[in-house]
Amino acid sequence: MNKKASKAQKNRTFFLSFFKVKKNRDRLIHLGISILAVIIFILAWDLYAQLQNKPYLPRPHMVFDALIASFFNRDPFSQRYMGEHILASMVRILYGFIIAFILAVPLGLLMGWSKHVHNAGNPIVELIRPIPPIAWIPFAIVFFDEPFDTAFIVFLGIFFPVLINTIFGVKRIDPIIIDAAKTLGVTKRNMLQKVIFPAVIPTLMTGIRIGLGIGWMCIVAAEMVGVTGGGVGFYISAMADVGRYDDMFAGMIVIGILGFITVGGASYIERRVSRWMGMR
Amino acid sequence: MDGNALIKIEHLTKIFDSDDKSVSAISNLNLTIEEGEFITLLGPSGCGKTTILRLIAGLEIPSEGIIYERGEKVEGPGPNRGMVFQEFALFPWRTVIKNIEFGLEIQGMPKEKRREIAMHYIDLVNLEGFENAHPNELSGGMKQRVGIARALANEPDVLLMDEPFGSLDAQTRNIMQRELLGIWQKTNKTIVFVTHSVDEALYLSDRVVVLTSRPATIKKEISIDLLRPRDRAGKEFAKLRHEILGEVEEEVTKAIASERKKEES
Ligand SMILES: Nc1ncnc2c1ncn2[C@@H]1O[C@H](COP(=O)(O)OP(=O)(O)OP(=O)(O)O)[C@@H](O)[C@H]1O
Ligand SMILES: [Mg+2]
Repeated sequence: MNKKASKAQKNRTFFLSFFKVKKNRDRLIHLGISILAVIIFILAWDLYAQLQNKPYLPRPHMVFDALIASFFNRDPFSQRYMGEHILASMVRILYGFIIAFILAVPLGLLMGWSKHVHNAGNPIVELIRPIPPIAWIPFAIVFFDEPFDTAFIVFLGIFFPVLINTIFGVKRIDPIIIDAAKTLGVTKRNMLQKVIFPAVIPTLMTGIRIGLGIGWMCIVAAEMVGVTGGGVGFYISAMADVGRYDDMFAGMIVIGILGFITVGGASYIERRVSRWMGMR
Repeated sequence: MDGNALIKIEHLTKIFDSDDKSVSAISNLNLTIEEGEFITLLGPSGCGKTTILRLIAGLEIPSEGIIYERGEKVEGPGPNRGMVFQEFALFPWRTVIKNIEFGLEIQGMPKEKRREIAMHYIDLVNLEGFENAHPNELSGGMKQRVGIARALANEPDVLLMDEPFGSLDAQTRNIMQRELLGIWQKTNKTIVFVTHSVDEALYLSDRVVVLTSRPATIKKEISIDLLRPRDRAGKEFAKLRHEILGEVEEEVTKAIASERKKEES
C-alpha cells in the first residue's frame, strides 16, 4: 500500500508542476492587465488635469513629488514626517481594532449560540449599527481623550462587521458536528471553547478583513475633525485648508495604499489560516 | 433486569412536534441489546432508524418510554455511548489524530497519554501515515475510519453506527464491512448498526431487527447463525437474504402506498 501511495504521490507532483507553470503564466497575465489599467488611469487623470488646469486638481507627477517629499520633510503644521503621521493613524486603528475584537468575538459567539442572548442583544445592535461612525465624532471628542476618541470611531467601524460575521459563523456550523461533540463528552461549558470557536475562525477572519477596510475609512474622517497627535487624516485636512492640493492628494494616496496593504494582508492571512485549518 | 443486557428499550415512542404538523417517528418499540452483540436495525428509508440511534445516544428525548443503559436511564448524550455518523461529522479544523484524541482531551487526559491511545486506534483502523492530514484531504472511506477511531478512543460501552458506509462506493463498503468485523472482534464492543441494505445487515450481524415503515416498531427479529467470514454468494446467505428482503419489501411497499395517499389527499 505504501509503494502505491508513493507512486500516486509522484504522479500527482508531476501534474501539479505542469499546472504550476500554467498557473504562473496566468498570474503574469492578470498582473499585466492590472498594471496596464493603473497606467491608463494615471494617464487619463493627467490629461484631464491638464485640460482643467485648476489648482485643486494637480497633475499626477506633482502629487508624486509631494508624496516623496512628505516622507523627508516635516509638515508646517505639526512638524512631523509622513512616517509619523502613518504611525499615529495606525496606533489609533490598532487600539480600535483590539477593543472591537475583544468585545465583538465573545458577544458574537454568545449571540450566535444562545437564542436568549440573541434576542436581548439584537435590537440594540440593529439600532446602533446603521448610525455612521462619523456621526459619533462630536460625542467621542468630548467623551474620550486622545487617542481613544479617534480609536472609538474606528472601534465602531470594526465592531459590527466582526460581530455580524461571528454570529453568522456560529449559525452556519453544521449541527451534526455539535451532535458529534456531545456524544464525545462535550458539555455545555466547553462547547464554545472546543467546538464553536474553532469552527468560526474562518468566518471571523472575513469579519476582520472587512472591519479593517472600514477602519481606515473611519480614521480619516475622525482625524479630520481635529486631533493633536498628527495622523494621515489630519495631514489631508490641514493641507486642504491651506490650499496645498498636491500634498492633500499625496495624503489620500497614502491612505489608499495603507488600506490596500492592510486589507490585502488580512485577506492573505484569512486564506492561509483557512487552508492551514483544513477548511479552505 | 437481565444480567447481560447492555441496553434496554421499553415502550419507546417518539413524536416530532413542530408548529404546523406532528410526525410520529417511533411507536412503542421494545428491544434489548446484549453485551458484545452486533445488532443491526434494518428498515426502509425514512422509517425512523436514525431517530432510534439518536434516542439511544441521548441526542433526542423520548416522547414516551425509557431507555436504560446498564440499568441506568439514559438522560442525555455521554461518552459511554459513541456514535458514528453517515455524514462522518468530523471536526474539519482538526487533524486525523486530533479528531481521534478529541474525547480524551475533553476528559482532561494528559497529552502524552492520549497521543498513545490515539495511535493505537489509528493502527486499529489502518490510518498509519495520515495522522496529520485534515479531513478534507481524505477519501470517504478514510474519513469514516477516523469517525470509527474517534468514537472508539473514548472506550464507550456501545458503538452506535448510523449507515456509516452509506455514502461509500461498493468496493470500499465491502472492505470497510470486513474491517469493522475485525475491529468488533478485537475490541469486544457492542455495536448497534443501522442500514437499509439487507446484504450489509446479513454480512455483519448476530441479529437483524427488521423495522416497520414509519412509525418504526419491530416487525421481525432474525438471528444470523452463519459463521464469519460470511460468504455473500453462499446458499444459506441467499436464503436468508430472500427471507429478509421479503419482510423489508413489504414495508417499503407500505411506505410508498402511504406516501401516495398523503399526496392524493
Ligand atoms: N428533528 C426532526 N424534526 C421533525 N421531524 C423529524 C426530525 N428528525 C426526523 N424527523 C422525521 O422522522 C422520520 C424518521 O426520520 P429518520 O431520520 O429517523 O429516518 P431514517 O430511517 O433514518 O431515514 P433514512 O433512511 O433516510 O436515513 C422522518 O419522517 C423524518 O422526516
Ligand atoms: Mg437515517
